[in-house]
Amino acid sequence: MADAKMVNLTIEGRAVSAPEGTMILEAAKLAGVLVPHYCYHPGLPVAGVCRMCLVEVEKSHKLAPSCATAVAEGQVVHVHSEKAIEARKGVLEMLLINHPLDCPICDQAGECELQDYTYQEGRGEGRYRDPKRFNPVEDFGGDVMYVANRCILCTRCVRFMEDVAKEPVLAVIERGDRALIGKFEGEDLTHPWAGNVIDLCPVGALLSKDSLNKARAWELDRSASVCPGCSQGCNMIVETRDNQVMRLRPRPNDAVNQYFMCDHGRLDYRWMNRRDRVEQPMVMSGGSLAATDWDIALRAAATLLRGKRAHVLASPNLSNEALFLLATLVEKTGGRGTFRVNQGEEAPLAGVDDLALRADRAANVRGAEMAGFTRSDTPLSGLQAGDVLIVADEELAGVDASDVAHAGAVIVIGTTLPSWARHAAAVVLPIANCVEEEGTFTNLRGRVQRFMQAKAAPGLARPSFFAVGDLLAAMGEGKGYWTAAEAFAALAASHEEFAGMSYDTLALKGTMTAGATAGAR
Amino acid sequence: MPIGVKVVERPVEQTSYMRATLGGMKRTIKHMFEQKVTTQYPEEKESISKRWRGTHRMLTTEDGKAKCVACGLCPSVCPANCIKLVPGEDEQGNRYPLVFEIDEFRCIFCGYCQEVCPEEAIHVGRHYENAEYSREGFVYDLERLMAQTHPVCELWDPADPKGE
Repeated sequence: MADAKMVNLTIEGRAVSAPEGTMILEAAKLAGVLVPHYCYHPGLPVAGVCRMCLVEVEKSHKLAPSCATAVAEGQVVHVHSEKAIEARKGVLEMLLINHPLDCPICDQAGECELQDYTYQEGRGEGRYRDPKRFNPVEDFGGDVMYVANRCILCTRCVRFMEDVAKEPVLAVIERGDRALIGKFEGEDLTHPWAGNVIDLCPVGALLSKDSLNKARAWELDRSASVCPGCSQGCNMIVETRDNQVMRLRPRPNDAVNQYFMCDHGRLDYRWMNRRDRVEQPMVMSGGSLAATDWDIALRAAATLLRGKRAHVLASPNLSNEALFLLATLVEKTGGRGTFRVNQGEEAPLAGVDDLALRADRAANVRGAEMAGFTRSDTPLSGLQAGDVLIVADEELAGVDASDVAHAGAVIVIGTTLPSWARHAAAVVLPIANCVEEEGTFTNLRGRVQRFMQAKAAPGLARPSFFAVGDLLAAMGEGKGYWTAAEAFAALAASHEEFAGMSYDTLALKGTMTAGATAGAR
Repeated sequence: MPIGVKVVERPVEQTSYMRATLGGMKRTIKHMFEQKVTTQYPEEKESISKRWRGTHRMLTTEDGKAKCVACGLCPSVCPANCIKLVPGEDEQGNRYPLVFEIDEFRCIFCGYCQEVCPEEAIHVGRHYENAEYSREGFVYDLERLMAQTHPVCELWDPADPKGE
């Protein structure tokens, strides 16, 4: 970008300089001016079909579509001039001829671009008196539902399937005022990334069947996060209402996922709302687990660990902070750390370089490896008699009490209490899951990315870094950490891969770890 | 009179009660022939303004279903936060309110819910007799709101600002 020739122009009276070849719409964003648009999307090829982004360029004989007009030296652009607004008003009136005014029952209401721009600069009333065109609602397969009446034919979905997913399934069928989006004969929107057309759709024509009629856009609280679905580490927004995760949406990050997110990550959120959580620290007394205080439970755990080796089986979905603190614990007791990764099928998004739903279905595999944990399909195989087994946020599916019987003691640090642990665990420390705490994940290319807290943890559950930090403190190592930022600062100070990083420098886009920058996204 | 109080003799026309009684009777008899102003509540009821905002009512469609489509505008606009709405989907795939409750104790009867409703479903009513035996009775659920029969408020009309 640095070697591109810069072009100077004026947009809405503001001087802007943009690299040569930039479209006016993008240059206007640099000037802080939003040009209304429908068919244009930064992640898709330009089509120029909606005519919504018309702007007035001085010395040009007609209005220019700003998504498809490149900047030129000395250009003077008026976005909100009378002529441009008049043209856009016309476009909006035409779009609304057949668009039903059913905002009250439309799921897009509140985040609908047609609604926004009509309020912003549309006519107060339509002049068209004939009945509106009607088409039935169609199920597109996958998670997608098509409400043809609301479609404004921007073709973002068609271009996504064709140019980004490279599996063309959608097309504009029929012509003239009967035109609508249709599927190819006998095909369905089953591409693993097809759910993105729901976000791309500027109106309520493509809707998610999963979140249909569940929540209104304005009721949702949004937090920046990172998808825990696989090791790709797509940036996402967690949308919650009343402390329940309602849906997940991609958060743009050019270096990782651009504007997209796969359906696996998008729909795999129900576990975040689990109700069968451990809410209190527990210690084994008289053959059953009894709820107790954090102080007592931590002291009990520290007593169990005294003079013993710890075998830590950690989940690769724990944050870097928690994993490195667990690694400290392993080092201090001279034990070993292992982890297990669930496997799935890899599903790349063809149009974006190095973006895929990865086979490793856990967010922090790289982080766990960097912390010194050993990847293993049989993570309990190295467990020696007398060792203290610490199971951190791992359900150990397929394991029962007899498999862990020869451990000296079992400490569970987890969000849930699996059935095998009801009688096997000596101490249970409840922790928050990854949408209930702050932390960082390291993705498969070594990019360290922050995620924020989106909802409150149940009961007395504490953030994982906090719980492990306190356990170390109870063992006489350090004093624990009050915030995730402090825990990360300690990690950055002691590990050279993270040298110089802090929550402030990571910001929302993340930073590559030292030595992992070469060529990778 | 040990302390020597002086007793003044007054003329009989000043001390007689007849005069005051007759004055009172005159006022009473005069009112008997004047127009009555007392309303004999509860036998008689005061007529109330067309813009009266009382407890709510949910209007229904011809087939007896609530007109509400659970768009969520009334809970958002409600300044007292007294409307609880949980949207759901019926057998035809239409959006409808699974739960719709108004806490009439929290309600400040501003009428915003009626004003914002795009389906003309929720209305404030021209109604004022709301006594209940328990506090819980003042949380009106959807069934109760639909069962109300009182007339509904005609909100402020800009063409007729004084409501005449």
